[in-house]
Amino acid sequence: MPDNWGFVAAAYGLTAAVLLMYWRRLARRERDLDTLRRRRP
Amino acid sequence: MVKTLGWLAGAGLLVGLIMAFGVAPREVTQGNVQRIMYVHVPLILASYVAFGVLAIASVVYLARRHPAADRVAHASGEVGVLFVGLGIATGSIWGKPTWGTWWTWDARLTSVAILFVMYLGYLLLRGTIDDPERAARYCAVLGIVAALDIPLVHFSVYWWRTLHQPPSLMKPGGFTGSTSILWPLLINLLAFVLLYAYFVARRVRLLRSEAEVTA
Amino acid sequence: MSYARRALAIAWKDLAVERRSKETLNALVFFSLLLLFVFQFTLGSDRERLAAVLPGVLWLGFVLSALLALGRTFLVEREHDCWEGLLLAPGDKSAIYLGKLVGNLALMLLVEALVLGLFVVFFDIDLGRALPGLLVVVLLGTLGLAAVGTLFAAMTANIRARELLFPVLLLPVQVPVLLATVKATEGLLQGEPLGAVAHWVKLLVAADTIYVVLSLLTFDVVLEG
Repeated sequence: MPDNWGFVAAAYGLTAAVLLMYWRRLARRERDLDTLRRRRP
Repeated sequence: MVKTLGWLAGAGLLVGLIMAFGVAPREVTQGNVQRIMYVHVPLILASYVAFGVLAIASVVYLARRHPAADRVAHASGEVGVLFVGLGIATGSIWGKPTWGTWWTWDARLTSVAILFVMYLGYLLLRGTIDDPERAARYCAVLGIVAALDIPLVHFSVYWWRTLHQPPSLMKPGGFTGSTSILWPLLINLLAFVLLYAYFVARRVRLLRSEAEVTA
Repeated sequence: MSYARRALAIAWKDLAVERRSKETLNALVFFSLLLLFVFQFTLGSDRERLAAVLPGVLWLGFVLSALLALGRTFLVEREHDCWEGLLLAPGDKSAIYLGKLVGNLALMLLVEALVLGLFVVFFDIDLGRALPGLLVVVLLGTLGLAAVGTLFAAMTANIRARELLFPVLLLPVQVPVLLATVKATEGLLQGEPLGAVAHWVKLLVAADTIYVVLSLLTFDVVLEG
């Protein structure tokens, strides 16, 4: 059977991309919350 | 504390990745595409951990009404749905070259798909209720219903697929038991569970901060 | 008032309201007739395909009717501002659940009997020996749907996207019940005795028990506010 490296790349790539997006979403919301907190005395 | 979890998870994922391509052998029948197993299986199993934690946290919340329990359930649900969704996608990508199809209604795939939709509904319920206290209560009830439903789903689907019908599909990546397959799998499993824990910890902290700010 | 009497009072009230207005009943009957016609258009002439698809279509009709009926369970309380009345009711609120469940069950079984009757007549189906077993399966399946459906109906009663969220929450959870009822109905209609589909019946009994007990225990939590 051929190696289908394309599929391997797709699977690993998708996983990395989605997990990275979630990680950055967490970071962004933390930053937004920080700025919100700093605006309130 | 959360940071250490993050570093541990990152290290685990890196080691896991190296092992999946460096240590694990090229599979005999499927070729290198079988390496997808080293993300697919850990993702699914880690999501089971997530849903188990969600169930326990739901019970704890109804018993004690600790907001922390509700936050853990919420975060666990988010990460669980994320992981199981990715698990289904990677499984599908693995299935196309090996089985010839993106999807099949065999017992395991059907059960996991039902799980995904159930807990997606959990997140939708969370999103729709504005009152945080009511959301916590209702989602706890739903979390427990979903958890108790899992064995029912498992058996009904399994009987549907196997009675009067011999199991026709071989799960890709059958276990030969060799250590060069087992170790990369275990390391990756540990890495993804650590990642789950890190994501949940960070999400819970975020939820707590959000609650304090809106209070 | 005793627990049982309170539950029965609620069931009786709902059924009396329904008997007078017949809103839900009319909608369900009309919908079932529609299903019958569509089924006839697509498969009426092909007896074999009809027999193969019948269990699924029958239960599809039952489920969609159930969604309609269950979605309206707390409609009266909502529309006439009686929701607070439910919240402030004294004593064990699970009596309300039981009452609603009995009411829903009665309504759903009535419609199902009608649908089944129509199907038998219009498609010349011979139920024969299958009937007693079929009644058991229909009763157990309907109880499963109603048990979780009543709980979820209460949960979604006052939510923004109620009409969308209710089926989204209910249907995935009900897959085991649907699988069991359809497969059991299929077996029975093919002439198998009830014993041959015993595992499905046992699953239904287990599911119904879990759902009813869990709902009784958690209904108070839902009606806290």
